[in-house]
Formats: sequence, C-alpha cells, structure tokens
Amino acid sequence: MRALVSLGLAASLALGAAAVAQDAPVPEPSDEALFVEKCGLCHLEGGFGTRVLSRRVPEGQALLQDREVLPAAFTTMVVRRGIGSMPQIRAAELGDAQLAAIARYLEAGQ
Amino acid sequence: MIPIPPETLARALAEFARIVGADNVWSGDTARTSYADAMAPRDPASYAPDAAVAPASTDEVQAIVRVAAELGVPLWPISRGKNFGYGGAAPHIPNVVMLDMVRMNRILECNVEMGYVVVEPGVSFDDLYHYLVDNDIPLWMSAPAHTWGSVLGNALERGVGYTPYGEHASKVCGMEVVTADGSLLRTGMGAMAGSQTWHGFPYGYGPSWDPAFMQSNFGVVTRMGLWLMPRPAQTLNLAMKLDRVEDLSPAIDVLRPLKLDGTVQANPSLGNVIRSLATRGPRSALWQGSGPMPADVLDAARQQAGVGHWNFGIRLFGDPDVNAINARKVRAAFAGKVQAEFEESEWTGGDLRGSGHPTPTLAALGVVDWLGGPGGHLTFSPVSAFSGAEAWKQYTLVRGMYEEAGFDYYGGFTAGQRYLNHITMILFNRNDQDMCDRANSLFTRLIEVGAQNGWGEYRTHTLFYDEVARSYDYNNGAMRRWNERVKDAVDPQGIIAPGKMGIWPRRYREAGE
Ligand SMILES: Cc1cc2nc3c(=O)[nH]c(=O)nc-3n(C[C@H](O)[C@H](O)[C@H](O)COP(=O)(O)OP(=O)(O)OC[C@H]3O[C@@H](n4cnc5c(N)ncnc54)[C@H](O)[C@@H]3O)c2cc1C
Ligand code: HEC
Repeated sequence: MRALVSLGLAASLALGAAAVAQDAPVPEPSDEALFVEKCGLCHLEGGFGTRVLSRRVPEGQALLQDREVLPAAFTTMVVRRGIGSMPQIRAAELGDAQLAAIARYLEAGQ
Repeated sequence: MIPIPPETLARALAEFARIVGADNVWSGDTARTSYADAMAPRDPASYAPDAAVAPASTDEVQAIVRVAAELGVPLWPISRGKNFGYGGAAPHIPNVVMLDMVRMNRILECNVEMGYVVVEPGVSFDDLYHYLVDNDIPLWMSAPAHTWGSVLGNALERGVGYTPYGEHASKVCGMEVVTADGSLLRTGMGAMAGSQTWHGFPYGYGPSWDPAFMQSNFGVVTRMGLWLMPRPAQTLNLAMKLDRVEDLSPAIDVLRPLKLDGTVQANPSLGNVIRSLATRGPRSALWQGSGPMPADVLDAARQQAGVGHWNFGIRLFGDPDVNAINARKVRAAFAGKVQAEFEESEWTGGDLRGSGHPTPTLAALGVVDWLGGPGGHLTFSPVSAFSGAEAWKQYTLVRGMYEEAGFDYYGGFTAGQRYLNHITMILFNRNDQDMCDRANSLFTRLIEVGAQNGWGEYRTHTLFYDEVARSYDYNNGAMRRWNERVKDAVDPQGIIAPGKMGIWPRRYREAGE
C-alpha cells in the first residue's frame, strides 16, 4: 500500500520501529509484484479468472503468466473494458503506466 | 433527466482539470465504460456518466464541489466503486460527473489504545488488512465476503461482515463531510475544534448526523472514524451443515436468544446450498438443463459436494475460557432441535486463514460464473424478523418466485442482534436478453410482494432506488417526503447524487424525474 500513514500518539508509542518503517520511501514494486497485487486474487492458482479461462484457453495456459501469446494491447483493452465475467478496472485505481507495466510483463512471458 | 449542456460540461471539466490535473479527468467513451455497471441486466450505457474526476484530497473535493455548485453540474460520489450486486461503480442516472475518491487512500490515524482507525474513501479492505497485519497491530477488522471495496464506502452503505464488529454502520464514529456548497463539516464531537473524543463518542451535541450521511445524498464523506475490535486470544468455530431444508426455522429460533443475550456476538450467516456450490464452479458441471435445478438433481449435487441445504458457522471470539462456556451454551441450545452436529475448530494465533479475521479474497465474485457467463447479478436483500416462522415464510415465498422466473434461489440469512438480513442474488448471463428481462421483472415483483408482506430492503441496487423508496410508504411516503425536504434545504439543485435512494431534489422533481 502506498498510503501515507501517520499514526496516532498511542499507536506510535506501541509500534515503535514499525511506525518509522512506514515513513521510509517505498520502493517501486516490480512488474511481477504489481501483477500479483492488482490481478493476483483472480489470476493466480485457484483464482476465479484462472478457473473461467481454463475452460477456453489452450491447456496449461489458464494462468495469464503461462500464456504463450498475450499481446499488451489486448490486455490493456480487456482491463479497461472488462471481458465476460471480469469487471473493468479504471484508470483512477490503476494508472495507465502501471497497466502498461503489467501488460508488458504478461506479453514478455516468464 | 436533466442533460448537462455541452458548453457547461466543457467548462466544468476544464476547471476540474485545473484542480486535479488533466490526467485525473475523463470524459466520453472512457468515462462511460470505466464507470459502467459490469454486471447489470440492462444496457449499462443507458445510465453511464458523462465524465469523471478523481481528487486526491479533501481540499480538491471541496474545490470540485464549489465549481459543480456554481455551474449546476451534478456529481456522483463513489469511494472505490466495487459495489457488486448493487450496481458497481455506476450512478443511478446518466448526465452526472463521477466524483471518484479511490485516489484518496490514506489511513490517517490508527489509535491502538482506543481501538479505532480513521480512513479516507479510497482505503480498501485489502489496504487495511495489510496495514494492520504488516505492522502487527493488535486490532482486528471486519470485511464483506470480498475485500476489493472501500472500508468507508461499504460502511456508508451499511454493509455487513462476520466478526463481532460485523454491523459496520454501528462501528462508524465521527465523519468529515463536504456539503453541496463545498464547505466542510465534522460530525459528532468533531464539531468542536480541538475535540479529544471525535472517534470515541459517536453522538455529539444535538442531533446526530453520522447516520444521516449513510445511504444518503446529503453530503460527500471524505473521512471516517471506525472502531476496530481488540485482537482476540482465541476464536472457536462451531460449523454446522443442515441436510434438511426445513431445519432453517428451528436453527433460527435457537440462535435468537443466543444473539439477544450476547452469547454469540458475531453474525452467523446461514447460506443455502446454491451459495455453497456457486463459488466452486459453473452449474454445467452438475447439470446441463435450463431453468432452476430440479430438487433431486440439486440434492445429489449437494451430497456429492458434502454441503448442507444450509451451512453456517457460529464463531466465538475472545478469551478461551469464556469461549468454552459459550460453546457449551450454544451446543446445549441446539441439541435435539436440528438434525445435525457441530464441527468444532479453533484458532489461537499465527496464520489468519480460518481465524475469522478476513483475509484478502475475490473468490466470492466467482458466483457470476454459475451459468457460464458473461455473468451478471442483482442482489435482493430484504430484512426479516428474527423468527423461524418469518424466515421460513420469506424463504419459501422468495425461493418460489425465483424458481417461477426460471432462476436458482441463491440466498442466506445473516443474523444481526434483532433481525436477519436475507441476502439473495439473481445470477444470470448478460448476453441472454430473455434472462435479463426475467431478472429485471423478478426484482420488481420481489420488491412489491415483499412490501405487501411488510418486508423492506436493507439496501438496494442503483437501478431500483425509486421502486424500493416507494415501497417505504407509511403515511403516504412520509419518510421519502421528509428526506426530500432535507435534500431541498441542503442541496436543492442536486449537486450530490440526485436520486440516490430515491431522494430527488427540487430541481429534478420539477423537471419530472
Ligand atoms: C458475491 C458477493 C458477495 C458480497 N458480500 C458482501 C458482504 O458480505 N457484505 C457486504 O456488505 N457487501 C457484500 N457485497 C456487496 C458489495 O460488493 C460490497 O458491499 C462492497 O464493499 C461495496 O463497494 P465499495 O465498498 O467499493 O463501495 P462504493 O461502491 O465506493 O460505495 C457504495 C455507494 O455508497 C455511496 N458512496 C460511496 N462513497 C461515498 C462517499 N464518500 N460519500 C458519499 N456517498 C458515497 C455511493 O452511492 C456508492 O455507490 C457482495 C457482493 C457480491 C457480488
Ligand atoms: C475479479 C476477478 C478479476 C480480476 C481482479 C482480474 N481479472 Fe482478468 N479475468 C477475470 C475473469 C473471470 C476472466 C475471464 C473472463 C471470461 O472469459 O468470462 C478474465 C480474463 C482476463 C483476460 C483475457 C484472457 C483471454 O485470453 O481472453 C486478461 C488478458 C485479463 N483477464 C487480464 C487481467 C489483468 C491484467 C488484471 C489485473 C490488472 C486482471 N485481469 C484482473 C477475472 C479477473
């Protein structure tokens, strides 16, 4: 979470080091970490997206990370407009730059 | 419908861009698809907004509202817009500008000693989870079945979770609100500058306004205090599967005194068999017909999956000695009343899965895949009296109507202290026009038949705000008329969410909305 955190007095006293750590600059997450954070709850093993895709993509490619071909432009369009049972994710919550990083990561494969 | 004249909209958007930066203003097709209800049984374009603006601070919200008020441009506030089942991020009417507060995602304060947090609208349940867990803060949160949404937005809709703090609206304490003229208000004790007890004493001096800003269009809430429960030493879960559908009634009657006297503090949720099956996979794996699943097929599927007709857990949170006593009371109360046994499990620390504390998940949203998709859903959620006979009557009537309309009944009863939230969901495929039509008309009939029986909804979908508002009809709709008098006093132009909950400001009433 990138939220800036300022703790109440009681909390700061109780938390000590943890509170300080929150104030340190947070490094940019890797593209993979971004994918896991923003898409992972549906697109990792056992996720709802994985389950639906297992019915209609080539065997062994239900995980987006395992897809042989996943053009970035396609991913971008799917995320912004939604597809089938996947709701759209808008720019205010996932910026264009972040989405581009995720789409590039999926296009490149592992 | 009051369209925003194009030149007015253009002026407003230019002003908004000055306030938040052009990157945080959207219009045209982008705005329409971004905020469309992805799961609706109607063409989402028919009630899509004209534009959207996403502020990053309360100051920016105030500046936006001032511009909107000056130009007469209606705003539709959302926090994270993950209001699935009830309309997602969508407004009630087109010709509005979304006020999207997802970027305001700071946890402003966490007071461990006093047990509360203060959050902005964009803070998600996942954010709060990571904040509490990563910092080993000894406070527990409560969350709905999926954790994508906003802590603040869900509480404003009076959402429910499953810990002793699961009645979220009752844990709200002190808000900051931007009113329709762009000015700033603090509720409760926050009305005093320098107050020491804003998030401790909920009522303030004079009328209490926190509840009036919930399920409301009287203001834009920009921060909220929310009580969190102290981390319990133990949780003890008594899980039960009822194989006999008619055991719903005795189970509810046994539960009532346990909720009333506080033996059971959390909100047990008795979910039906379809609710259990639908998160696992599509119906086609069990049956390939159309219409509701026949009883015998459903029963076979149920037994194969090892689930009951009704499934629930009574989870006790707290000190192990106290939990042990309360578990004995629960067992004794249920003994001989239903044909089932409890399965007990315990949590005493460590990994939070299975503890009763929510963990990040979107699995529940998978229910829209029940008929194979593209999935849609509509949630119909009447309140039931806390009695076996009433719950049974509501269940049989609502289920019968679902099945008559060709749908499986997906539902459950979540127990408050003196009421039951009967949460049911129509699941359909959005590309099937006939199904969409049936879903729409079923919803309307459910509202009507419910009202004839004295049942009102606890919350509803954006598409049905007016129908549900009309069903609250005592004394010629006195409550609706009162709400509109207040709306006229605080926002006669309808700058904030005109028509939300069926509350229309004067300008819209005069335009024949
Ligand atoms: C399968 C499934 C299971 C679900 N389970 C649950 C559950 O267990 N419990 C539960 O409560 N819900 C449940 N839901 C419903 C819903 O998805 C959640 O309640 C969700 O948290 C609501 O979205 P949100 O928090 O992002 O709120 P938002 O969408 O941001 O807000 C909801 C509404 O409140 C108003 N609003 C929001 N913010 C503001 C503001 N700052 N000022 C003024 N008005 C505002 C707006 O009208 C907005 O449309 C479930 C849905 C599905 C599909
Ligand atoms: C709420 C769950 C959910 C989330 C979150 C989610 N998805 Fe999906 N996604 C799905 C589902 C379900 C499908 C399958 C849709 C269908 O076919 O009905 C899907 C399909 C897709 C597809 C289409 C693959 C194909 O071959 O057709 C892509 C690409 C995709 N998702 C990318 C993403 C990315 C990138 C993210 C994160 C930014 C994301 N999704 C987040 C549920 C989700």
